Amino acid sequence: MNGNGLLDKAAAVARRDLLTAIRYRSGFLITAIGTGAELAAFYYLAKALGPSFRPEGLEYFPFVLVGTGFYSFLISGSGQFLSTVQQAQQTGTLEVLVTTATPAPMLLFLSAMSAFGGPTLQLFFYLGAGLLWFGSALHPNVAACVVVFLLSLIVAIAFGLIAAALQLAIQKGSALVWLLSSFSWFMTGALFPVSTLPKPFWWAGQLIPLTHSLNAMRRALLEGAGFRALGNEIGILVLFCAVLLPVSLVVFSFALRRARMAGTLSFY
Amino acid sequence: MDSVVLQSVSKVFRHRPALFNWLGKERAGETRALDDVSLSVAKGKIFALLGPNGSGKTTVLKLVSTMLLPNAGEIQVEGASTENDPETVRRHVGFAVANERSFFPRLSARENLDFFAALDNVPRAERPARVDAMLQRVGLSEAADTLVMKFSSGMYQRLGIARALIKEPSVILLDEPTRSLDPASAAHFWGLVRKLPGHGATVMLATHSFSEAVAVGDEVAVLHRGRLAGFRKVAGAGADDLRAFYFATTGEVDEAEYLIPRSRQ
Repeated sequence: MNGNGLLDKAAAVARRDLLTAIRYRSGFLITAIGTGAELAAFYYLAKALGPSFRPEGLEYFPFVLVGTGFYSFLISGSGQFLSTVQQAQQTGTLEVLVTTATPAPMLLFLSAMSAFGGPTLQLFFYLGAGLLWFGSALHPNVAACVVVFLLSLIVAIAFGLIAAALQLAIQKGSALVWLLSSFSWFMTGALFPVSTLPKPFWWAGQLIPLTHSLNAMRRALLEGAGFRALGNEIGILVLFCAVLLPVSLVVFSFALRRARMAGTLSFY
Repeated sequence: MDSVVLQSVSKVFRHRPALFNWLGKERAGETRALDDVSLSVAKGKIFALLGPNGSGKTTVLKLVSTMLLPNAGEIQVEGASTENDPETVRRHVGFAVANERSFFPRLSARENLDFFAALDNVPRAERPARVDAMLQRVGLSEAADTLVMKFSSGMYQRLGIARALIKEPSVILLDEPTRSLDPASAAHFWGLVRKLPGHGATVMLATHSFSEAVAVGDEVAVLHRGRLAGFRKVAGAGADDLRAFYFATTGEVDEAEYLIPRSRQ
């Protein structure tokens, strides 16, 4: 397949998702209201805690804003892979989609990347509105932010592929996303600094890539930290990417083949 | 030359009960959907698969489409193996599935067809004209911009047929394609199917209807409990000949013979 063919397919997938999203009109409004309420809650929480509470030397509001915003983006990004498979099973399209001339892993990838559009817009809205509306200091190192963002995206994609594989294999991909989001919520430092955790939880948190993503993104976005300062976190994220991405591709291919063998592609 | 070849193909579906199943009645077991089936379909022919429910007709079509993988044996489509070269097979095959729920409900008929055509490598520049032509061929022009969630069963069926044909495949798989169609639409559809071999396409058709198999088929295979029970050419045969052949090969009782016409009651 040439580049034009791939772009054409990506455009077709994005168009399908955009048209479907537009036709669920109320979805946008509900999400925007929910996001606004969340921002306000964090703002007043930071105000209640007072200016003396400075986790890792940062004001609490930007600390929690970047932590929860980036956390939500990565978790819902992973969840998009799962939703892509679940929705295809529920609409009965999965069996037909896997018999088109587009290989299934590529189709899943295109669908999930298209579905990342929503969380990306939400992230920019969340950070933009929070930092501008409530007025907070921002000193971004753009290059470091982009690198951390891309590495974190690859990790999220890998988890998403594994969740999609679990959905095909045991129809319970949601278990992985639930597990990941629950443990990440309190062990990765989305809401509070991980240094306050007991040692065993702190160590467990270090094994979750999201911990390093949030820390690196905060420092790159709010303190202007560069590659030298973030070397440790970026190195860990690269390592996670190098291991998780190939593993997730193998696991997904295996699950797809197993479902075609068992005749369970459309089971949910 | 043969377009589709099945060599000693077997397909087994294994059922494993869920964990903590003591509350339910589900039991482990297996269903032998196909057992050592060999058949071939010549290029440009219409090949009908007859058989009772659960005989393995849909399984054959799903195996040919690469939707399923066989437990044993080999399937080749236009010389490519479904197991070793599925991408080549998928480029050749168009499959009108029996399942009505296989479209994106909040897209229109036109948008659905355009999407699937893109995934099947139909060039962007050709797609609008091809989509329009296909919608017209299956009688859905007036509903082209209606969201498919508002479609009736028959409309879904026609859209499924359009989707299978839009990439102009060389092998077309039709699973009970007229099941939800009214008689006039069915007659129109069979006219369309009869023209396909003229364009070089090979058709595999799963049906329960003897008259439809006789009307369009060149060859007929009878499946019974996953085994190939019989095979014959259709030329010169009528629906009654095929009915007699079917019951002779499957060993089932033709209860229609015992039905008393109302006029004699």
